[in-house]
Amino acid sequence: MKIFKFFITKIFLRKVVITSSVLLLLFLANYLVFIAARSNLSVLQGYKEIKRINQKGNFIANLNPDSDMDMGAFKKNDTQNVYNYLNNNFKYALFTDGFIVSLPNDYDMEVSFGYVNEEYYKLNPFEISQGKNLYFDYHFDSDIEIPVLIGKGLSKTYPLGSTIRIDDPVLEKPITLKVQGILKPNVYHSNFHALSSKQYYNFSVILPVNEEFIKNSNISFQLNGLFDIILLQTSKDKIEDLGKVIQDNLGLKFNFYTQQENYDYFNKYYFNSLKIIAIATTVLFLIITFLSVWNSLVSIRLMIKDFTINLFVGLSYSKLRKIFYGYYGILFFINLIALFFITAYSRYGNWLRKDASFVTYGLFGLIGMDWFALLVVLLSDIIIGIIIVEIMLWRIKKVPISLGVLQ
Amino acid sequence: MKKIIDLNIQEKVYKSKKSQISILNNFTLEVNAGEKISIVGQSGVGKTTLLNILGLLDVNYKGTYRLFGSLTDDLNASQLAQWRNQKIGFILQESALINSLTIEDNIKLPLLYAKSSENYREKDFENITNALGIKSILKKKPFECSGGEKSRAVFARGIIMKPELILCDEPTASLDIDNSERIMNLLFKMNEDFNTTIITVTHDLEVANRHEKVIHLKRRT
Repeated sequence: MKIFKFFITKIFLRKVVITSSVLLLLFLANYLVFIAARSNLSVLQGYKEIKRINQKGNFIANLNPDSDMDMGAFKKNDTQNVYNYLNNNFKYALFTDGFIVSLPNDYDMEVSFGYVNEEYYKLNPFEISQGKNLYFDYHFDSDIEIPVLIGKGLSKTYPLGSTIRIDDPVLEKPITLKVQGILKPNVYHSNFHALSSKQYYNFSVILPVNEEFIKNSNISFQLNGLFDIILLQTSKDKIEDLGKVIQDNLGLKFNFYTQQENYDYFNKYYFNSLKIIAIATTVLFLIITFLSVWNSLVSIRLMIKDFTINLFVGLSYSKLRKIFYGYYGILFFINLIALFFITAYSRYGNWLRKDASFVTYGLFGLIGMDWFALLVVLLSDIIIGIIIVEIMLWRIKKVPISLGVLQ
Repeated sequence: MKKIIDLNIQEKVYKSKKSQISILNNFTLEVNAGEKISIVGQSGVGKTTLLNILGLLDVNYKGTYRLFGSLTDDLNASQLAQWRNQKIGFILQESALINSLTIEDNIKLPLLYAKSSENYREKDFENITNALGIKSILKKKPFECSGGEKSRAVFARGIIMKPELILCDEPTASLDIDNSERIMNLLFKMNEDFNTTIITVTHDLEVANRHEKVIHLKRRT
């Protein structure tokens, strides 16, 4: 230990520029791996989620980007006509969220309402940690207590079984909600148009909607519901008819994509971009690793006299190997700690900004995907460490310990 | 007299991409404990190579080397390092100091690798630095010292473990007459006081002739 301490304090740390540049390069490599690992995991999570929805016979709606839309021009009857047609001819999955309400809570966080129908709930369920699942066959009247699921962040203020009286943003009237279940921490839904990003429901209320609820909801809700609606177990012909009904009533052109078209789309955009990210990350990683090795070799050249003198007076190569591994272990540890704090601070920042859609719960502030990415960084560090140390030793051994080195 | 070195080199080859050089062919050397030997010869004949082999720094040669009664082939890398630390002292040119360390740290460097039971040698530090007159420069860095002071520091490091064998590589090369005399006197005092064996490589014939035996290395014709 005293030999290791000697090398750290009296040899390596005295070469401030070299140590700092090695540390910086390794941090860049670590950060790159961390971001790539986390993004890829997030995309895979999103892909897994969409795979549940993108079944054979299902069509996912998408507003044609060329459609002109003037929210003020729509009438409730027009949107309701579309839903009437849907109710009579289709099974459909509907989920729409992001309706902000002012609901007092311990964290003073903005609360978002999400509305889910039974088919969507079956297709892409919300995992609960307490209570029961939602039910949808309630009769909609002014006295009803609508069963809801709430995020973990609201569970302290609104425990299981409690009721919430609130002006609902889509019904535009006061309703009573009954807490039926508490969502598991960090329950999320991925953004299907950007699979790596996701919304967390720790400060959300999930309301079950049925035909009656939709009928009583406002235009904004009905339109938003249509934009990502999923038509289940249907055919291309029926979908074309639906397209005409929407066009006739709303003047909007919708695209409905089959399972195959969706796969093609994902393959074209996401997997290609994933491939590009993976290749770019690998290339950058290799360049940074090469620079780190080069930097280490320069340091060897500058410190060869110091090493040789130590080898003269009793240091052995095996001891030197242990010292190098220990030294790089410390550098990697510093980087891992830095990454940990940056990530934890970034997660904590969401709490400070009261960004309800992104606040998360985790071990020391980090969620599962962060820990996974840190683990990948650790593995990459072990690989880089072995490469650098073995190359350094190879270089040192290439110049044999000899009096000649000092002459 | 106890024989401490029994070296028999058949051949030492230096290879480069284009050629190879063979030196010290069929070279033998026997040294008894307490002997003072100097090695002289032209540049390139293998003086430093011989010192490297004697000091267990170079083990890549054809031949056998028995040191303190043990065959060095039987020692692993860690044992070789341990012997370099405890049995052999290297007295090198004044440049062989680590610039980021103080003179004190440079001198005490071998203690870092000593077994914990050897730590009593810490006490010798005081006596050696007093005898060499370098107490005043202990906290200085090598670049703040004169050539003579640095030579004495290198000398102090070479003897702090009280080695049985001292290998000197041009110990007086960059010194003035006074400092050169001082170093050689200290070296021979070690020999007298502790029966330390001394082998010196030098270009300086005057220094060489002060040893009991002078070995002239010559290039094979």
